[in-house]
This record gives sequence, C-alpha cells and structure tokens, in this order.
Amino acid sequence: MDNLLWLIPALPLVGAMLLILIGNLLPKTYVAIIGVGSITISAIVVLLTGYSFLSSPPEGGQLTQTLWVWFEVANFKPEITLYLDSLSLVFIFVITFIGALIHIYSAGFMAEDKDYSRFFACMNLFVFSMLILVLADNLLLLYLGWEGVGLCSYLLIGFWHESHANGYAARKAFIITRIGDTAMAIGLFILFYQFGTLSINGILQSAPNLWPVGSAIATATALLLLAGGAGKSAQLPLQTWLPDAMAGPSPVSALIHAATMVTAGVYLIARMHVIFELSPAAQMTVAVIGAATLFIAGFSALTQHDIKRVLAYSTISQIGYMFLALGVGAYSAAIFHFMIHAFFKALLFLAAGAVIEALHHEHSMFRMGGLKDKLPVVFWTFLIGCASLAALPLISSGFYSKDQILWYSWAAEGGDAILWVLALSGAFITAAYTTRMMILTFWGESKTEIGHKPGKLMTIPLVVLAFFALFAGFIELPHNFGHFTLFSDLLHPVLPETRLGESETNEWIFQLVAATVTLGGISLAYYFYYKQPQRLSNLRSSGAFNRIYDFWLSGWGFDKIYDTLIVKPVVYLANINRRDIIDQIYNAITSGTTALYRLLSFTQSGSLRWYVMGLIVGAILILTIQIML
Amino acid sequence: MSASDFYALSPLLLLAGSSVLIMLLIAVRLSHRIIQISSLLLFAISLYSTVFTADILPYRIPPLLIFDGFSSFITALIIFSSLVVNILSYVYFDEKEESPKEYYVLLFLCTLGSCVLAISNHFVSLFLGLEILTVGLYALIAYLRGRNHSIEAGVKYLVLAAFSSAFLLFGMALIYLETGTMNFSEIGERLRTVDNIPVIFITGLGMMLVGVGFKLAIFPFHMWTADIYQGSPAPVTAFIATASKGGMFAVLFRFFASIQGFNFPEIITILSVVAIASMLVGNLLALRQNNVKRILAYSSIAHFGYLFVAFIPRNAISLEAISFYLLSYFITTLTAFGIVTLLSVRETDAEDIGRYKALFWQHPILACVLTASMLSLAGIPLTAGFIGKFYVLAAGLQGGFWLLAIILVLSSVIGLYYYLRIITIMFSKEEHAEIIEKKAHPGFYVASSAALVILTFVILLLGIYPDAVIKLLGGFSMS
Repeated sequence: MDNLLWLIPALPLVGAMLLILIGNLLPKTYVAIIGVGSITISAIVVLLTGYSFLSSPPEGGQLTQTLWVWFEVANFKPEITLYLDSLSLVFIFVITFIGALIHIYSAGFMAEDKDYSRFFACMNLFVFSMLILVLADNLLLLYLGWEGVGLCSYLLIGFWHESHANGYAARKAFIITRIGDTAMAIGLFILFYQFGTLSINGILQSAPNLWPVGSAIATATALLLLAGGAGKSAQLPLQTWLPDAMAGPSPVSALIHAATMVTAGVYLIARMHVIFELSPAAQMTVAVIGAATLFIAGFSALTQHDIKRVLAYSTISQIGYMFLALGVGAYSAAIFHFMIHAFFKALLFLAAGAVIEALHHEHSMFRMGGLKDKLPVVFWTFLIGCASLAALPLISSGFYSKDQILWYSWAAEGGDAILWVLALSGAFITAAYTTRMMILTFWGESKTEIGHKPGKLMTIPLVVLAFFALFAGFIELPHNFGHFTLFSDLLHPVLPETRLGESETNEWIFQLVAATVTLGGISLAYYFYYKQPQRLSNLRSSGAFNRIYDFWLSGWGFDKIYDTLIVKPVVYLANINRRDIIDQIYNAITSGTTALYRLLSFTQSGSLRWYVMGLIVGAILILTIQIML
Repeated sequence: MSASDFYALSPLLLLAGSSVLIMLLIAVRLSHRIIQISSLLLFAISLYSTVFTADILPYRIPPLLIFDGFSSFITALIIFSSLVVNILSYVYFDEKEESPKEYYVLLFLCTLGSCVLAISNHFVSLFLGLEILTVGLYALIAYLRGRNHSIEAGVKYLVLAAFSSAFLLFGMALIYLETGTMNFSEIGERLRTVDNIPVIFITGLGMMLVGVGFKLAIFPFHMWTADIYQGSPAPVTAFIATASKGGMFAVLFRFFASIQGFNFPEIITILSVVAIASMLVGNLLALRQNNVKRILAYSSIAHFGYLFVAFIPRNAISLEAISFYLLSYFITTLTAFGIVTLLSVRETDAEDIGRYKALFWQHPILACVLTASMLSLAGIPLTAGFIGKFYVLAAGLQGGFWLLAIILVLSSVIGLYYYLRIITIMFSKEEHAEIIEKKAHPGFYVASSAALVILTFVILLLGIYPDAVIKLLGGFSMS
C-alpha cells in the first residue's frame, strides 16, 4: 500500500485536468462522476494507506516517496517528494474524507448551476493543492500547494462572478492572504539560505544545532512563518477576509473556509514547531494571537444576522483555539481540535447551505425560523453540529477537543491564567452564539416559506458528518476520566508531548468550570432569544448597547481601521500620483528599448552592401580587440 | 577503411545513400507522396542508426573524424530536426507550383553536411561539411523561385556565405601557417608547447570566428538572419534555425575545447562581447516586429547569445547545459515553425502577425501548441526552455561570469514582451483573419498536427521531468 501514496494527490489532479479540458463538453452526470469520483477514490486510497500505516508502522514513523527529481543543477535539487507521517496522515484523512462528502453534497447542491464543470474543476484542483501542501517533503512543494489553495480559494469565492460584490470578496481574500504569503515566502527564503536545503526534515533536524534558543534569526523566521499562517488561517490581524469569503457557494465555505484551507496555518506551525520552540517569544505570540482572535471573533459571531457570517466568525474563533493550543505547546490538542472542528464545522456549513437553498437563498437568520419540523434531517444534524461547536459536556466531541485546550492554556508550560480566562470567556460566547443561531433558525414562527427540500445527495453527507461530529471525540479522553489517548499517541512521534507547568492543577475543577460556563452561555442565549425576547428588544433601545452591538457586528471595526489607515491613504496617494512618478522609470525603460529597437532597425535595411559592410566591420572589431589586448 | 569505420559512419552513409535513392525514385516518376513517405522512413532509419551505433563510442577515424557521446547526440538531434522538417514539408510544398520532389534530395544533403560538421576534428572535414551544408541551402532557400523574396534571400545568402567562407578559409590558413597542422587535437598540442600565443594564430582565430559567427547568426554577423528567414519557405526556415546551426555550434565547441581557447583572455573577451551584444540586439530587434518569421529570426540571435553564456566558462556542466539547451531550443523552434508552416497558404507564408489574431477560437490545438512553444522560448517554468535557461545560468554563474548572467536575465525580460505579444494576439477575441482550411490533404495535415502536439508534450515533459534527459546528457563526454 505504501507505494500508492502518489495516487492520493494524483487522482484529484487528473479529475481537475479532465474537467478543465473537456468538462464543458460532458453532460452533468459525467462531470459529477469525474469530480466526485476522483476525490472518493482518493479518500479510499487514504484509508488503505492509513490502515497499513497504522497496522505496520514504517520505520521512524515516516514514509517518503520520491516521485522524481525536478532537475539537478549545481547542487540545487528540488525533488518532487511526498512525505507521510502521522501529522500529514490526519490532514490527508480530513481533506479527502470530508472533501469527498462535500463533493457528494455539491453534486446535489450545484445541480442547477450552469457552470457545473468549472465548479468541480476548481474543487478538485483545490483538493490536489491542499494534499500537496500537507504531503510536501520540501519547502518548494509546500509553497506550490500553499499558493495553489490560495488561487483556488480566490476562484471559488468569486465563483458567481456576475455579482460585483463576489468579485470584491474574492479579491479581498486574495490580497489579504497575500500579505501573509509574502511574509511566509521571505521566511522560507531565510530557511533555505541558512540551511542550504529545501528538505523540511533536514531543516528541522539541523535547526537546533545551528540556531541557539531565543536567537534573533529564529524569532524572525518564526514570526514570518506565523504571519503566513495567520493570513491563511484568518487570525488577527489578517482575519478580515474570511467573513466576506462567504460569498462563495456553501460547499466551498465548508471545504475551504472551514475544514481545510483555513487550517493550513495550523499545519504550518505544527510542522515547523521546532523553529517555534527555538523562539519562546514567537511561540508566546502564537498563543496571544490565538487567544485574542478567539475572543474578538466570538463577540462578532454573537451579533451577525447572516447565518454564514456567524459560522465564519465562529471558524475564526475556533482556529484561534488551535493557535492558542499551538502557542502553549499543546500540539496534539491543536490537531485534535482541528479534526473535530473540521467535522462539525463542515456539517454546519453544509446544513446552513441546505437551509439557505430551501429558503430561496435567504441568508438572514431573522427571516428564518420554525424549520424544526419542516426540515427534520437538517434540523437534527445541525443540532448535533451546534452541540459540538458549543462543546456540550460529555456527549459532544467538541467538548473533548476544546476541554483539552482550555486545560492546557493554563496548565501547560507556556500557559497562564490570562490566556485561560480569554479562552474560557470564548467558550461562554461560543455557547451563547451557537444557541442563538439554533433558536433563530429552527424555533419560533416560520417567516419564509420553504421551496424544495434537500435531496438524498445532500442529506447523506450531513448524516455521516453528524455521526463523526458526535462520536469522533471519543478517541481521545481526558486524563482524569477514561485516559484514552489514541490520537495523541498517534501524533507523538512527530509532535512533542505537551509539557505541563510546575504548579499542580486539578483537571476536575477546570472541567467543571468549563462545563458550567458552556451551560451558562447556552442558558443566556436561551433566556434572551427564546424565553424573554422582549428583554433583548428593551436592551436594544439603549444607545450604549446598540453601539457595542454595531461595533461587534462590524467585526470590531477592523475593516474600518484598515480602510482608514491603509486603503484610504493609498488611494489618496494614488490620486495625487495619478501620473505615476515611478511609472516614469518604467516608461523610460519602454521608450528606451523602443528607441533602441528603432535605431537597430536601421541596420536591417535589406541592402546587401550594408550587410557585407557589417561583416567587415565585425571582422575589424574582432581583430582590433585581439590586437589591443 | 575498416569495417568498424563503416559501422561508425553508418548514419552519415545512410543520409548520403538516401539522397541518391530519392533521386532514383524521382527519376522513375514516383509521386510526391511516395517520395515524402520514403524519405521520412530513411530519416527515421538514419536516426535509429545513431542510437544503434552508440556502442562503439568513442571512436576516431584519424585524422578527420571523431565520434563521441556529444557528437552522436548532436548528430541525432540534427537528423531528428530534419525528420520533423520533412514531416511538415508535404502539406506545405504539395500545393506550390514548383515540383517539390528535388527538395527532399537537398534536405538529405544539407543534413549530411551539418552532421559532418558535428563529427569533424579537422579543418578539412569542417570545411567540407560546411560547404555541403551551405551549397544545399542556397537552393533550398530559393526553392520557391516564383516568390520575390525567395530569390532575393537566396542571392543574399550566397554572397554573404561565400564572403564569410573566405574569412573562414583565410583564418584556417593562418593557423596552419603557424602550427603546421589542421587537426584540432594536434593544434592543441602545438599550442601547449609555446609560451606566448603567436599573433598570427590569434588573427587566424579571429578570422575563423567571422565565418563561424555568420553561420550561427550572432552579433555582429547577424544582419542577414531576418531577411533569409523571411524569404525562405517555412520548413526550410525551420531547418536553418535548427539543424544547420547545431553542427556548427558543435564543431566550434569542440575546436575551442581542443585548443583550450577558454584560457586565452582575448578570446573570452571577444566571445563575451559577442554574447552580450547578441542577447541584447536579438531581443531588441524582435521587440516591435510584426512578422512572425522575423521575430523568430531575431529571437534565434538572442538564443545563441544565451548559449554562449554556458559556452564561455567551459566548466563541468557546460557540456550538459549546451546539450540540454540545444535540445530544448530545437524542439521548441521546430514546433513554432511547424505552426507557421501549417497555417501557410499557397501564395504566402503565415508570417504576418495579423494572421494569428484570434487563432485560439478557430484552431485551439494549434494555438495551444504555439503558446507552449512561445512560453518555452521565453523560459517560463514547467517548459523545456526554463530548465535550459536555468542550466545555462548555472553554468555561467559557476564560472563567475556575472555580467553575462545579468545580461541574460535582463534581455530575457525584453524577450518576454514579444513572445507574450504573440500569445495575447492569438487569444484576443476581435474579428479574426480568415484562415483557409487545408482540405487537400487531411491525412498529412492531421499527421503534421499530431507531430507538433507530440513535440509540445516533449516540451512540457522536459520542463516537468527533465531529470531522465539530464542523466542521459550527463553521461556524454567529449574525447
């Protein structure tokens, strides 16, 4: 099975290429078979590979497959090599398995769309790029995947390009992530320059010998990589693109902007954890960014009207938890939360997509309601997703993954009380906005008539995902009850175990507090949105409350800040500089080369005499140089 | 001559024999179709024989000829180029009023001349090969004698080639005067025994460079290029751009390696000036050009300038770099001229850039093929041209020739403009020029297109997975 590794990214690539080349000529059924089939087979190959990887672990817990060497010139030798260890195994499992479910869902969801084949071509290409990103053995290939997912994200956010707003959202996502990408590229150049190799493993092995702990270069590199990760994963201060990215179709949001691409930053930091451990300052920054992001995004989610924007802010906030875990050194907790989050958030996006589709593209939760009985499958699966997101104690997988992070944010070596308080308040808000979303969408009176109900293609993936959202958490149980550590055992060959701080902490108390806080959040939302909606209206009539509400609604005014601080000045300067001064340089180059062209063209007179003269002058020139020297 | 001499020479003997055979076939009045197909087979056989005879390398036939990995690779490359030209020729020539049959005889002879250059180790064989090649080319260039440009191009080439041959001969004479031998290796040995390089020798070298520079169309002997490219029939232009230059470049490299010309600072200076000027002048002249054949002519000047960047340092990877670059350049150029040939009509070649307007919307496959070859010429990653250029740059930088490398990069940027310009024109959606369908020979038309598509795949393959070829080239040596 080991030699099948290359098939995993190859299949989606073949699918994408087929669809790009001949997709327009094929009927929709065939397009769906190619688009969905390629990912499904790839997922099966992943399961086979994973099975053989787990049942007979390869030597050193890693598996490399060199497909070919691109070229080998003067010690520069970029290889096309895939690398599989337990970290990338978790990622490829999530990418292909959830990817396949989302593709199946899309076959139903996009059935009426005229650009059916373009959609699947982009989706397949995305899965390919994402797989390359996580399977890359060297920086070059990693970067190829990194840019590839960015491109596909751009193409899919702006998928319905007839509307200007969608095009704007796509550009915004592309440009803002590009800021991070540029930083990351510089970081990768530093790594290549310092270590003289592209191989990630080679770099990680020699880094501790070459760079002392806390050295400036380690910090700089780690921070540059962090900027790349923050851009892709929509963390502070580059988080503003994700809510707008919801302009894409719902399956795109589920796949790219919830389950996979936005967690690329988490993958990058986990993969490069050695560099981060060499710089405690950078690692602390990761934790602080994570904690701040989860807090800020949580409040924004609390006030959104658009169901997908709630989920978008919630995604930002949940990835904040993962960053927090990475920052305090709880790597396997971060990856565990990544996996569980991928299940329930993909589920929530798909279910939300089904609701939106059923309500004639209605996005506002305030015009939904009363769907509990009308869309029973969507209701139950959404409920399970919400339970997991809110981390409902004991019965949801979200509880097990988030509880670990909460505990580590205090108890781990890098943790402290402030991080814990932020994370805990985040949990409270999460529970509150999740309950609010659930109540507004499914309870109360019906405000919009539903159109057609989702078909089997759409409901089956929901049910499967709901199953995992409910039970996937049980593969890793806390130390104090169960102490079942299947997942972290799997990861430990790659990621170091979490070191606990010196002070004794009692895990029971933390769990109790976390559970209480979650239940508190749920009851708060229950009180204001179900029991006493009147109270909320009363509150909203006060000015101060409204100002805070609007502030949160606008995502803490980040868009406005960036607009004032960056966009406006740039546009202003651009306006002053309408006849670009710097352009003059380029214009000079253009006119210079054109003038040279004109001058040289005179020599091309077509006259034979002239050409003979040219030969003679050339000969004289050569002889002169020889005699002069 | 011994049996093994014949064995080693078999590709060349096959080429020579083929020309006689084709002449006989013409004499018995066989149709163009049969002649074209049989010459295709003969080319294929001689190509195969280069592979077949590789087991006796290295081999010498003193004092004239030498066979080693490099020469055999270049020979194969030349024959392969002629084979592709041959495939393209049927559709092109069949509709012209001139009888196309004798064309194939000349094609064999020119190929033979170029191959002789590639294996020569002596001034006599060098000059013999050159003349076999050049005399054939005079006729090939002016083959469509009904066209105005054709005769003009033929006469221009005749006068200039004769003129430059005179320089070449005079240079050889001067070197012979000084060293008393015409064998490359012996010249090299003589030089090693003297302390100061005699002036007469250096002068002779300079004179030879005029002749060689003319054939390779490098600055300042480049001026004929565009006129001759434009005036020749499109398949012949493809031949001039590839096969005719390959042999010359190979012999130049061998000669300089034997006399260790790379140790003379004068030579390095001259070659550097020539290389820099060729890169700049070639790319600048192509900049606003509206004739595709002329664009490709100027671009060839620049590309041979690039080749000199790998040539001058003469280090460990020079040979590999040059071999790879020639391979990628030949395949790419053949593809580009192939499209020009296929789009040509009875009266004129498809040389005006307006003919390519909106080509993509009419002939998507042809447009994609031309796009790939333009990208490869421009050196965009994932094409053969990128790897070739990277190789050349690596060779230049390893030798410490920073100025050459910088000029290479800068002039490539200029070059990008006109390559991309052709691509944008093909994809523009304006009113497109009417392109007359070639219904006359659908079979041959499809075969030619298929050949070009295969070449395109090779371009991409060399860009994505060049390692196999690089390994092969790395095994070549020069003895």
